[in-house]
Amino acid sequence: MKTQFSRRGALARIGGAVAGLLTMSAARKAKAAVQKVFVSSGAPKGYDPTKHKWLMCIDVNKCIGCGLCAEACKKENNVPEGPFFRTWIERYVITKPKPGLGETRGETFVDSPNGGIPIGGRQAFSELPVPKDQIEHSFFVPKLCNLCHHSPCTQVCPVGAAFDAPDGAVLIDPKYCIGCGFCIQACPYGCRFLNPITKTAEKCTLCYHRITRGLKPACVEVCPTQARIFGDLKNLAPDDPIQKFYEQNLVQVLKPHLGTEPRVLYAGLDKEVR
Amino acid sequence: MNRFKMPPQILRLVLLTLAIVGSYLVARAFLTPASFKQYGWYRGDALEEIASRTPVYAGKKACDECHSEILQKLAKDAHKTLSCEACHGVSRLHADNPNIHAGQEKEEADEAEQARIKLTGSHCIRCHEANPSRPAWFKQIVVKEHYSGKCTECHAPHQPNQVP
Repeated sequence: MKTQFSRRGALARIGGAVAGLLTMSAARKAKAAVQKVFVSSGAPKGYDPTKHKWLMCIDVNKCIGCGLCAEACKKENNVPEGPFFRTWIERYVITKPKPGLGETRGETFVDSPNGGIPIGGRQAFSELPVPKDQIEHSFFVPKLCNLCHHSPCTQVCPVGAAFDAPDGAVLIDPKYCIGCGFCIQACPYGCRFLNPITKTAEKCTLCYHRITRGLKPACVEVCPTQARIFGDLKNLAPDDPIQKFYEQNLVQVLKPHLGTEPRVLYAGLDKEVR
Repeated sequence: MNRFKMPPQILRLVLLTLAIVGSYLVARAFLTPASFKQYGWYRGDALEEIASRTPVYAGKKACDECHSEILQKLAKDAHKTLSCEACHGVSRLHADNPNIHAGQEKEEADEAEQARIKLTGSHCIRCHEANPSRPAWFKQIVVKEHYSGKCTECHAPHQPNQVP
């Protein structure tokens, strides 16, 4: 059969190709326009999350329970007033054992009034749960996101809003979070909360806007006794405080039996601390 | 012989399925942000967005640029581990623009913060009031037994072991 090569057919083919190209470029433009909604600027340039690995070390023996860290965190991160904390201080009070019962220690009381932030200038922990002479041990434990290597909170997020950043920070994408609260239930350390204003889940970001600019997190910055030490495992200086911390202390993590492998390391932790 | 003849509704169903799957794929291509899966199963741009907040605390290094004399004094005594903003409060505006005096920034702070800054003694007591939960190595006082006047009468805040 002889092929017909008509003018009409050729024009139709050329027209079709042009229309196809036009639609493709229009689709690309439309796609870019749609995605523009998600793109923002103003972030510090030159920060590569794959070249850092952040770590927090806490020395329980150094914490004096002043609450400056919890207060600074609220100011730095615009955390709403009320019982919402990205970091807080817990007080543990362990009483003396009652004689004759064959116990090593008595009861354990844990509290954290206003997260450890003083109300009206006085310290938050001025009232004791038991008389002073009954106390065997008492100490403060600062708490924050434990920066789990296997984080249970990010695994349950149904929309890909909670994630482990390559630099070790566990973050929440506020534009993707639907506020379902799964992650709040999943965190074994109680480090997440639902922001009553934005209605999205929130947590310690390690002051991501500070560490990406070379500053320390707000809590580490204001801690008067250096109970909190913060550093970058991938860029360790020869005299890095983290190195010193490792050399001078035996470290433990919270709830090691859960296998979450936190990167918040505690020195001087008691077995009662959960 | 072709005894079996495909019912026409099968073709329609196949076409409908293809249309649904196709429109899903098109919608996904449009709605998935470019940075998704950049680092993992999340939006890579979110990292930048979270980092784009402006810091509130200026940091000790920023203070050191102008007030290095005071910081050198501080480093010689027991308060060497203290950050300036732990006592003086948030000083970002002052650090960005030294013409904005720290006092002005405090005026903008809320009343509770102002009260905290005015009561110079409350800074000291916040950390140094005796509490059985505080570690034994840390210097603590029972305020009632210690002294009834102002802390700064006997202790220079930057060099607490010296009389001002």
